[in-house]
Amino acid sequence: MSVSSVASPACWNCGAPPGGGHFCIGCGKIQPLAAADGYFAFFGLPEKLDLDAADLDRRYLALSWKLHPDNFVRAEEFERNLSLDRSSVLNDAYRVLRDPVSRAEYLLARHGVRKEGQTKQQAPPELLEEVFELNESLEELRAARLSGDAAESAALGKRLEAAGRNFQAKLAEVDAELAAAFREWDAALDRSAGEDERARLMARMNEILNRRSYIRNLVAGVTHELDGAPDA
Amino acid sequence: MAYSDKVIDHYNNPRNVGSMPKDDPKVGTGMVGAPECGDVMRLQIRVNPETQVIEDAKFKTFGCGSAIASSSLATEWVKGRTVEDALHIKNTDIVRELSLPPVKIHCSVLAEDAIKAAIGDWKRKQGADEAQASAATASAKE
Repeated sequence: MSVSSVASPACWNCGAPPGGGHFCIGCGKIQPLAAADGYFAFFGLPEKLDLDAADLDRRYLALSWKLHPDNFVRAEEFERNLSLDRSSVLNDAYRVLRDPVSRAEYLLARHGVRKEGQTKQQAPPELLEEVFELNESLEELRAARLSGDAAESAALGKRLEAAGRNFQAKLAEVDAELAAAFREWDAALDRSAGEDERARLMARMNEILNRRSYIRNLVAGVTHELDGAPDA
Repeated sequence: MAYSDKVIDHYNNPRNVGSMPKDDPKVGTGMVGAPECGDVMRLQIRVNPETQVIEDAKFKTFGCGSAIASSSLATEWVKGRTVEDALHIKNTDIVRELSLPPVKIHCSVLAEDAIKAAIGDWKRKQGADEAQASAATASAKE
């Protein structure tokens, strides 16, 4: 089943109408990639976010086997290249869709909601304050380590551990929020919700992802600092 | 990617690093961040209430070299300007001065936002002060 409504050209080999799949519905020959096809369509999936990882794995394995260049060693160069193209997209698509965060980021980018480094995205002020304070603590800890002040280091280390736990908890909270937003998005697709509602849901997911990226950086920063501690 | 000499200079010798009391009515604080890269930037200004001139500016930025350089430059530029004048500083001016590559343009946007946020905060305080002052005179009349 294909979810892509964009017309692909007829089969290059037999002229059969496009079926939207990897292979022609008429002669079974491998087809060129259609530019509009996305990663979800590549796996024959609707653009739903709460996807079943085991199902994705199965689809990935089945497709890697079917599209593998080894199957095309005796085919024309044209077909061999199509197999290479599709195999390489398969791997990209799998890598992106397998991870919930990159999956959502991909969906939002595809719908123009998220553009790296272009759209201005503000974080909530209270989070910024918190981020700032934590960064200051991290900096103090580094300075204390450099100056070899063991007592100060230990005290700061304790504070950081607490902060780390706090941010870990926050990360779990955000992930739960994201999972809930995924289910809402899928439900909206199921009842063919209008553009407005989809846009609203995507905007909210974008906001959650922004908060997540901040918190993830903080968790990474704290972990890095604590791991780097000689005797923390 | 190589940083320009000016970015490196600001990064190694950042100007006006520090903080000012947030509750000072003459101080405006702008706290902005770029969630995508995890940068966070705080820019503060102290404004002379008579002349509206920004007499001092401080910043503290956690982020990449370009973010630090952009905010450092921003504090240099706002100092000595009136509040209204400082609002005219554009991120493109910062991009040009620091020769920022396209991937680092968002750092300059952040610095412009920080200036605007600091001025906005200061203006809010002035509004609040006036409201308080008029409330005080109103209650004095009663």
